[in-house]
Amino acid sequence: MKRQYYILFIIIFICIAFVSIKKYHFVVPKSWPKPTYDFSQNPLTEDKIELGRVLFYDPILSKNNTISCASCHSQYTAFTHVDHALSHGIDDRIGNRNSPALMNLAWHNLFMWDGAINHLDLQALSPMSNPNEMGEKIEHVIIKLQKSKSYSFLFYKAFNDSLITGEHTLKAISQFMLTLISSNSKYDSVMQNLTQFTNQEKNGYRLFKQNCSSCHTEPLFTNVKFENNGLSLDTLLKDYGRMKVTKNPNDSLKFKVPSLRNIEFSYPYMHDGRFKKIGEVINHYTSGIINSKTLSNQLQKKIVLSSNEKVDLTAFLLTLTDKTFLFNPKYSYFKK
Amino acid sequence: MRIISCFIVVLFFFNLTIVIGQKNKFDTLNFIPIYGSIPLKIDDAFYAFKDKDSIQFDELKFYISEVELINGNKLVWKEPNSYHLIDASNLKSLQIILNVPQNISFQKVKFSLGVDSIVNVSGVRGGDLDPTNGMYWAWQSGYINFKLEGKSNLCKTKNNEFSFHLGGYQYPFYVHKSVVLDFKKNSNTEIIIDLKKMMDYVDFAQQNHIMSPSNQAVLMYEKALEIFSNK
Ligand code: HEC
Ligand code: HEC
Repeated sequence: MKRQYYILFIIIFICIAFVSIKKYHFVVPKSWPKPTYDFSQNPLTEDKIELGRVLFYDPILSKNNTISCASCHSQYTAFTHVDHALSHGIDDRIGNRNSPALMNLAWHNLFMWDGAINHLDLQALSPMSNPNEMGEKIEHVIIKLQKSKSYSFLFYKAFNDSLITGEHTLKAISQFMLTLISSNSKYDSVMQNLTQFTNQEKNGYRLFKQNCSSCHTEPLFTNVKFENNGLSLDTLLKDYGRMKVTKNPNDSLKFKVPSLRNIEFSYPYMHDGRFKKIGEVINHYTSGIINSKTLSNQLQKKIVLSSNEKVDLTAFLLTLTDKTFLFNPKYSYFKK
Repeated sequence: MRIISCFIVVLFFFNLTIVIGQKNKFDTLNFIPIYGSIPLKIDDAFYAFKDKDSIQFDELKFYISEVELINGNKLVWKEPNSYHLIDASNLKSLQIILNVPQNISFQKVKFSLGVDSIVNVSGVRGGDLDPTNGMYWAWQSGYINFKLEGKSNLCKTKNNEFSFHLGGYQYPFYVHKSVVLDFKKNSNTEIIIDLKKMMDYVDFAQQNHIMSPSNQAVLMYEKALEIFSNK
């Protein structure tokens, strides 16, 4: 008899514990593919997302307490860095590349321009550590967090454990980034028959499907693969992209195909930020392609666009702007 | 009364088997770092190196995983979720406590140096595998399987430093192999790690930094496998 009471008590206790966890329902936008992120290993909850958001905006993550993730990934530019071609910050390597926009990351399986990072949860490690200075380690960031009272509270709330670990820190940051979904542009409304393209945009869409969508594939506007889109090698930076990771010459000059969502705001463009305007990018595709051994097949044949067609294509690209994403208060700076 | 005495007899035998079992119960792997014949210390101690030069170690850390016990050709026990971070400067980590059932007999201990490729591609883990333990590359995904840092007058580098971070989970630079050691007695087991066996191979004039998966790392890793032996 007594045992039954115990069991009942335990069951009630477990139920209460579950109710108090505010699960977050991850919504896959209509007609999108299944996300590649394995949520079962890191189930989203409101409290973890909130903790991740606080961390994302907190310079405590950098060695000298001056730079946060948001310094290089600002919401109003689709979480990229605007004013500089090459994001500069805490270390050499980061200074060699333009920061990519952060959105719809649950559909990506490799990260960085060269795919050097194989899981979103491990992404935050790189800006947090400084490989140039031997001895200064990510462990110290964790120690700084452990010393903070407000963080022990937030970690307790999120993980039911006030012990702050690297695992929990990284998982929380990942959770926040997973919620950064942009799927509410004019393009999306048109696809759902809620509104119409103008004639110009319609023609631009046609040209886009003809010339661009093999790599910038809908609905993510990236095929999340590595391609060589014919950029000339910057002789100063000597960045060979994917080859750096695989050491395979067939991967030379291949970079991760960036999404074109919110492209209006995520300038400058390309891995090294060499172009400032969409027009320059389109001119690259029509007349700037450098032929090399690894140039992607789709670009072997010259793309020919009249100046009117270029305008139309640009008009279409501007329909990918998602203001509800860029100004969503849920993604913005959050005070502890 | 009869029942009680019966009970006592049973209890006695039960106790006896526990005592006997404990006698040859095996439950610990003890790692003992040495340099040649001298105990290895991670501090300012200098060791003679190739006759006239010297070497000093600042850090020695590595992963031991997939611990298995083998009898003949048969696997008799396998540690579940087997990942251990060994740090020569942390005495506690040099002892791996294993939860082996009693009276298992075996002649070989098998373990892998490093972590397997699955763990390398499946996101962030906690405990010994927490990527903030200093055994994870930041700029490029992947665990460092074996990390050795130190100084030698032969290194023409800043502060004469050398560092070997060996790892890699993708071909052709996959470094993950196992070591098999013979043990005659089923008692607690001492595993010697003799760094000299590895250092004698290194030509510091040519090679003092390995910081990412590469051909060099693969070759050096092979040497790292040789440091393990039993008495
Ligand atoms: C100093 C600027 C800077 C800071 C600070 C920074 N990043 Fe980045 N981030 C970059 C750059 C540059 C890249 C691309 C690097 C590369 O490809 O080598 C990048 C890439 C990324 C990516 C990969 C996106 C993709 O599509 O592949 C993610 C995710 C990311 N950063 C998240 C973060 C998080 C989380 C933080 C804070 C912990 C952070 N970043 C801090 C500049 C920065
Ligand atoms: C063969 C695949 C491929 C095709 C086809 C392609 N692109 Fe790209 N695109 C890429 C890659 C790869 C990058 C990134 C290159 C880099 O930074 O080194 C890129 C970058 C861009 C960028 C910059 C995005 C950013 O955030 O920096 C824009 C804009 C763009 N492409 C537009 C287009 C347009 C418009 C077309 C059609 C005319 C097109 N692309 C066709 C592969 C392709």
